[in-house]
Amino acid sequence: MKKLYLILFLISTLLVNGAVVEIVKGMPYIIVEAHGKEIKIQRTQDKNAYLTNTFALTSRPSPPFFIEPFSVSKGVETYGELEVLDFIAKEKGIFIDARLENWYAKSAIPTAVNIPFKIFLSDTKKRKEVLKSFGAEYKEGLWNFLDAETILLYCNGAWCGQSPTAIKALIDLGYPENKMKYYRGGMQAWQLLGLTTIVPKDIK
Amino acid sequence: MKKILLVCIAMTYLSAGQYDKVKITPDMSYIYVYHKGKAVKVHRTQDPQHKLTGEYAKQYRPGQYLQPISIYENIQTIGEVELLHFMKDKVNDKKGLIVDVRPKKYYNQESIPSAVNMPATIKNDDVKMEKILKIMGAKRADDGTLNTEHAMDVVFYCHGLWCKKAPEFINAFLELGYPAEKVLYYRGGFQMWKILGFTTVINK
Repeated sequence: MKKLYLILFLISTLLVNGAVVEIVKGMPYIIVEAHGKEIKIQRTQDKNAYLTNTFALTSRPSPPFFIEPFSVSKGVETYGELEVLDFIAKEKGIFIDARLENWYAKSAIPTAVNIPFKIFLSDTKKRKEVLKSFGAEYKEGLWNFLDAETILLYCNGAWCGQSPTAIKALIDLGYPENKMKYYRGGMQAWQLLGLTTIVPKDIK
Repeated sequence: MKKILLVCIAMTYLSAGQYDKVKITPDMSYIYVYHKGKAVKVHRTQDPQHKLTGEYAKQYRPGQYLQPISIYENIQTIGEVELLHFMKDKVNDKKGLIVDVRPKKYYNQESIPSAVNMPATIKNDDVKMEKILKIMGAKRADDGTLNTEHAMDVVFYCHGLWCKKAPEFINAFLELGYPAEKVLYYRGGFQMWKILGFTTVINK
């Protein structure tokens, strides 16, 4: 009887493991903490999963939507999903969703904090607060980014200019390019790959 | 005569605006590229309600692992804007080649305009690989060295972000002595091309 259970157990684990869609070989998921909850980031395991929501739309009207170049600036590294996951898992810096609040509330990548791109565009008290929270120092009208953290920004995808606009504004302020990363694929590529998203408005 | 001129001007004006609703970049609505001897207009789907459906909207991809943003040192990864410039500046001048390494069946159904099909399985066929090198303008000397001085720049792509065929094919080319600075990787592949509503061609 024991033997039978053991065999059944083995078969069931084999079946389960065989069906797992992994991120890369040997890495089925990563576990992160977002909004005080433990979240498993993985790819969809649903055989019939197709992208059908608004991110399946191919043609956002221009302006304001255009296809963004692969790179924002020479010194700003462009990330793919594996680099984003590594950044999150190893807590390499601040992960920023640069979209407007209503977009973020509906769906976002786990662990991202929402800092709408507009905040970076004008000299306000809010911008000062945000930059200080990144570790930048402000003295006598000048910014010092020596101890500033590495930041990774994304928005809706290859057709979204919000995160590139934020990065360009930060370059103008003197934020070191090697401390900024750009996830160009954004929400569209993330969801097309069936990766886990969260609904921040429902969590709060 | 004046009337005809006026009509001509009006028509040019109208056709210029035809692809302005959903543009590629602020100064690019479409380009022309040669595909099998014919000029093809490459633009984006102008219907803002159009959604990607079918095989390339599929999120479930078992056994297909996500590819890193950069596959080998010195191999440039490019996006759609860079690919379009490559078509204009390189492919149309026969100084560059876009290679679709998906199986023939997929290529026949639909491909990126101007792309030629070299299914990834060819990489194990030494004779065919030598022929391809020749097509690309590389010359094999009697002593076996590969002269690539006048060889073309080559962009490789496959299904998309989860497809390893293009990275593997690129590796095979590097091993044959093709210089890394003449090889580019369109990581988004056919899936990203489709989800951004770009023109495709049918090859069968």
